Amino acid sequence: MKEIISFIKSKFKGSTIKTEGKSILIIAKKEKFYNILALLKEKGFDHLSDVTCIDYIKEKEFEVLYHLWSHKKKLRGQVKVRIPRGSPSIKSVVGIWPGAQFHERENHELFGVKFLGNPNLSPLFLEDWKEIPPLRKDFNTREFVKREYYEKD
Amino acid sequence: MVSKKQKSTRLKVLLTKSVDEVRARSLWVLNYFNSCGFIELLPWVGSGYDMERFGIKAVGSPRHADVLFIAGYITRKAVKRVKRLYNQMPSPRYVIALGSCPMTGGMYWDSYSTIKKIDKYIPVDIWILGCPPKPENIGHGLVMLMKKIKSGFKGH
Repeated sequence: MKEIISFIKSKFKGSTIKTEGKSILIIAKKEKFYNILALLKEKGFDHLSDVTCIDYIKEKEFEVLYHLWSHKKKLRGQVKVRIPRGSPSIKSVVGIWPGAQFHERENHELFGVKFLGNPNLSPLFLEDWKEIPPLRKDFNTREFVKREYYEKD
Repeated sequence: MVSKKQKSTRLKVLLTKSVDEVRARSLWVLNYFNSCGFIELLPWVGSGYDMERFGIKAVGSPRHADVLFIAGYITRKAVKRVKRLYNQMPSPRYVIALGSCPMTGGMYWDSYSTIKKIDKYIPVDIWILGCPPKPENIGHGLVMLMKKIKSGFKGH
């Protein structure tokens, strides 16, 4: 584990690295995150568990999180990237882990983040959705539910 | 003396009554379950409560079904499928809603993706309360539906 950390630290000086127990957290910049992920894959993080998003509405940013797992070394890895909220787009990691396709599709649907290079970003769960993506913080669930389900007749 | 006309009307009444009786004793059920409701119906499927002694049987196709059993949260996406299943069923058709989820949305009363009242989309004949309802309540609901059918109810 130490060698991985020192290796990443030497390679990417701009990003913050934290460790706790058997997990590594890397806070990366948008330009470098793809290279970091590709490097982590090379270093044994062969499994992408999840891709999630967090909406930081006050800071006008989305945070995209990549949860990684190494089957050989039993290590957990997290990579955080911040992207601007106005035009959320980020490079797709389908080229590194093909399984990322569905995770990215889901995040595209529920947060509206564009994953450039993903071959299929068509809606997955929602049908005929005309509002803003529902898991964004500025989406008013109560108001929508009242209008759509309780008052509609 | 009973006239010929009277005889034929009596026969008609007898026939419709017996048809209703037979219909009530051979309900074929199509299950549309997507959460915990089915756990409580399982005793009826198995030998514990044994719904076959009432002539109730689960079928795989809506074309063969008389009763549509709905339990669990119905999402905006799923309600279209429910409607389609309902439209595929031959008349007379009956709908039983199980549990508080299809009635009120249950725990997800303010969720954007689940519908709140199933009867806005398809007509419901029997509501069985509970979260989820006990097997006894389900039996009570089924017997109520059977009584309703015996009295000549043809569904909506």
